[in-house]
Formats: sequence, C-alpha cells, structure tokens
Amino acid sequence: MARRGSLSDSGSDSGSEDSSLSDSELQEAFSRGALKPGLNVVLEERPKRRNDADGLRQCLSELKQQLAWVERLDVTSGQVVDPASQSASSKDAVDPENDFQREMSFYRQAQAAVLEALPRLRKLQIPTRRPDDYFAEMAKSDQQMQKIRQKLKSKQEAMERSERAKQLRAMRKYGKKVQTEILQRRQKEKKNMLNAVKKYQKGLSDKLDFLDEEQTSSQGNKNGSASQRIKKGPNAKRRYKNQKFGFGGKKKGSKWNTKESFNDVSSFRSKVAHNKGPGKSGKGGKKALNKRPGKRARQKMKSRAR
Amino acid sequence: MAAAKRKRDAPAARPKKRAKGVPSAPEPGAEPGPAGAEYSIPPPVSQGKWKNKERVLIFSSRGINFRTRHLMQDLRTLMPHSKADTKMDRKDQLFVINEVCEMKNCNKCIFFEAKKKQDLYMWLSNTPQGPSAKFLVQNVHTLAELKMTGNCLRGSRPLLSFDPTFDKEPHYALLKELFIQIFSTPQYHPKSQPFVDHVFTFTITDERIWFRNYQIIEEDASLVEIGPRFVLNLIKIFQGSFGGPTLYENPHYQSPNMVSSFVFVFLSWFKPSQQLSTTQPLTHFPHPVGWGRKSGKKK
Repeated sequence: MARRGSLSDSGSDSGSEDSSLSDSELQEAFSRGALKPGLNVVLEERPKRRNDADGLRQCLSELKQQLAWVERLDVTSGQVVDPASQSASSKDAVDPENDFQREMSFYRQAQAAVLEALPRLRKLQIPTRRPDDYFAEMAKSDQQMQKIRQKLKSKQEAMERSERAKQLRAMRKYGKKVQTEILQRRQKEKKNMLNAVKKYQKGLSDKLDFLDEEQTSSQGNKNGSASQRIKKGPNAKRRYKNQKFGFGGKKKGSKWNTKESFNDVSSFRSKVAHNKGPGKSGKGGKKALNKRPGKRARQKMKSRAR
Repeated sequence: MAAAKRKRDAPAARPKKRAKGVPSAPEPGAEPGPAGAEYSIPPPVSQGKWKNKERVLIFSSRGINFRTRHLMQDLRTLMPHSKADTKMDRKDQLFVINEVCEMKNCNKCIFFEAKKKQDLYMWLSNTPQGPSAKFLVQNVHTLAELKMTGNCLRGSRPLLSFDPTFDKEPHYALLKELFIQIFSTPQYHPKSQPFVDHVFTFTITDERIWFRNYQIIEEDASLVEIGPRFVLNLIKIFQGSFGGPTLYENPHYQSPNMVSSFVFVFLSWFKPSQQLSTTQPLTHFPHPVGWGRKSGKKK
C-alpha cells in the first residue's frame, strides 16, 4: 500500500497522482482530515529487509549434521579475561577503528578457544604438539620463512642502528657541554689570577695569596698599611667597576651606563644622595668614608702607598 | 605400492609426509620408536576411519586480481579437503555452479566473484539443496605477507573459534554452521595431518565477520598469526544454493556502488561543477560557488 506524503510548497493537482482511488474516496478522506492540501505524491516505501527467522531456523535444522565434536573442533567462547586490561564485558566497547584493540580482542578470543579446546583434545588423545623429528610440508615454504626472518632481522637492525646513533649524538652533546664548562672555568681562573697579580702590582694588596691554589675573598688584614683608606682601597663603586671591567684593555663604552644599569635604582640611598644622612654636620661627625678626595689628593695617596 | 616398497629401504626415523603412504593419525609420536626394530607396510592413512566426506570446491569467476587469486590459493593450501576448478565465465548463470559441484563430487562450495575489477564477492554454499550466503570481502591479506610470521603444517586440522554473538541471532547461527562444515577438516582425511596446530577465529565486530588464522605455539596458548585474513560483509542468505528465496538481508550492508556515488555527491558539494560536456553548446557560464553578490556592492 502506498503511503501518501505531501510536499511543503503548494502544488496544483493531486487527483491525477492516484488513479487507484476514486474522487469520492478522496473527498471523504479529505473531509476526515487524512489528506493535507498540497501536492500529494506516492512515496516509495523503503524495501523491507527480509529476515525470515523461522525459515532460517528450519534451514539450520536441515543443515545440521550429527557429528561428534572431534570432527568439527569448534569452540564458541568469549575472551580471556585479561586482568591488566578492561574486563571482557566491555568487549562491546571495542572500537573497530582502533586496530590494536581490535586485533587484541581477536587474539584473546583465539586464546580462550585454545585454552578450552586443548584439554578436550588431550582427553581424546589427539596430539597437538609436533615431535621434534617430525618433518612435513608446511603451509608456507621454507623460502618464505627465510624471507620473513630476514625482514624481521633487518627491521631490528635498523632500530638498533638508529638507537645507537641517537645515543652517540646525545653523548657528543653532553661531552661538548662539559668541555665548554671546563674551558670557561679555566678562563675565569686565569682572569682572576691576572687581576690579583695586577692588584698586587698596583699596590692595592700586598698579599701574595694568589700564588696559592686557594683563592678566598679578601679577609680583613689589619697590618702593613698605615692608612685605613688603603685598607679599603677604592670605594665600593670603584671596586665593583674595577672587578667588572678589569684594569687595562678597556673597551670604549664599557663604563658607560646601559639601559639596565640606568634603570637600576636599587643602590640609590636618598639620604646619601641628598646629603641628609645621620652623622652629617648636624651631629658634627665627618663622613670621611663617603667623601671622595680630589684628584691631586688621590694621586698623592697612590704614590705614598708605593 | 611403489611408495611402500621405497619406504622399506629408507630409514624410518624421519617419516616424511607426502600425500599418501603415511603412518596414520593416532600415535605419530610412537612411530619413530619401534620403526627401527621391525618394519611393516604402513596401513592406508585413514585406516578406514574417514567417515566425514566433506569436499569443498574453491574457484572463482574471471577478472579477479592477484590478491584474490593468492587468497584462493591460500585457502586451498589450508584446506586439504578442497578441490580446485577452472575459472567460470561470467556469462553463465549462477546455478551452473551447482552442476559443476556435482560433477566434482563436492558438497560445499566457495565461489569468488569479482566485479569491476575492484569489488570481491564471496559465495558460500551447501550445494545440492542447502542454504547459501553472499558476502562482500574486504581487507584481504594473504599468506605471503611478511608481517605474518607464523607457520603451520600443510593440511593440519584447524580449531574453529567463534564469537558468542554467533549464537544470538538465527542468521548468525546458520552462518556458524556453514562455516564449521566448510572450514573444518574431516578427521582421518587422507591429505590431512594429525596435529591440531592452528586456529581459525571468526569474530563479529562492526556488523562484519572478521577472519583470522593463528598458529598455536605453546600449550599455554601463545599465538602467532599465520594469515590469510579477510573481512566478510554479509549481503544476503538464500534458501537454495546460489538462488532461491531470500531468507535474510543484511540491513547494514551498503553496496560499493552506493558508497562511491555517495562519496562523489559529497565531494561535488565543495567543488563548483566544472564538468561541461563538450558536445553541449555553452548557453550560460556556470555560476561559481561563493560569489553571492556583485563585486561592487559592499555590505
């Protein structure tokens, strides 16, 4: 029986579509409300898929042979429950697109079947293990097996080679890093040594400690110099700049300000800057330490110290 | 007879198995032992025990490609109870196959049919009267593929493993019975080997039947795949052999033509239709997709 459907846009005639029904019947149907206005077309009904369950069962009963299990060797089983992975009940969740999962499910099904069947076979005295001296024709020829073995071997070798290459590269990188560290350390030591020598030459320190291996930071040594000024040497700012840029061999702009040093106001002491610190003229004390002597005075001090 | 006479002289410590003249099934392990002591003419293989006379005819139509041919050969290798036949012309009707089977004295048949050099269909049938089923075969991998490393004796009897889903539906139960009768090697078949060392698995996933073949290495069920492997997509089950009323149609099956036409339509949504037949005069230019308005008119 054809179903009647109607299209959304209004059409004209509907009567010519079904000639099987007379006009009066159509009118009745319309008055009942079974028909909607518009173009009524005969829709093709989807061909029903045949599923003759009784016929199938009958066929099966005809087809079945009364054979002992040993003739058929069939096993219907679920999968081996793998404790590590999901339980067998989630087998329905096996994603057929996920190749590995799918193949593992087949593998587990085969395993379960084998585990069930082997004891039965043993009971029926059907051998499952081939004796070592039983030589017979195999499904794949020896040549084929050789090819397979070669391929496996070559794959393994390629993997090993790439592993070795990676390790070598990593080791070389590490070695290079270590070497650069060593070189840098040596250069630093050399630099420090030279600085110490220069300092000694300039008379700022008369210790010969730099000849020893150990270089400790300068400790407070009270003897050998009259003036406390020389004890301290130049002030902190001077010492910092000397340490950073060294003596001699100055590059042109090395003592100029950089952006970072300009923006760095951490060493700004407002009391110092505005000359308003404690111990100033108000207390009567003289902050001789912060007052830098003039050029002449400094030269005199230097020559005196030599 | 000649084979038996020849065997008299050769040392019997290594029984080399050929088609006939072989010490038979039940205790092959015991054979090398007493063979040294005295020698007797080995009895015929089956010793009269071969009862299950199941024979399967495996052949194809013309126009198959190399992969299908290899698959057929692999099946013939794995199933010693199979027989081969020449290619059938596509002109003949399918019920001719029943007569071919009768002539070869076979009661089951596997028939491969190739269409358009791409699609492969497989018919499984119980020839005189029984049911038959048509499948679309996909994802064929043959024995010769190097990824499958297992091996088994030629003609050894397989274990068959089925999914529990096969017992749930009547059409699957019928298919299961058909598979069992076709793929299991009869016991004491003269070309068979007495050991059970590989297992065929049939699993239902994604509305299709997946076939795998594994070799049993150890008694603790460690397996290695031998091949071949293929996927069967059921189309129809018929009551008769290669014909007859349809018992079951697979609602999930889509024929390859439909799939390709769907793909074609789907792709043509994205491209402007540029195909103009050269014979038609150009009455109007095809409207390119994406130009909705005149270029001068901005929103």
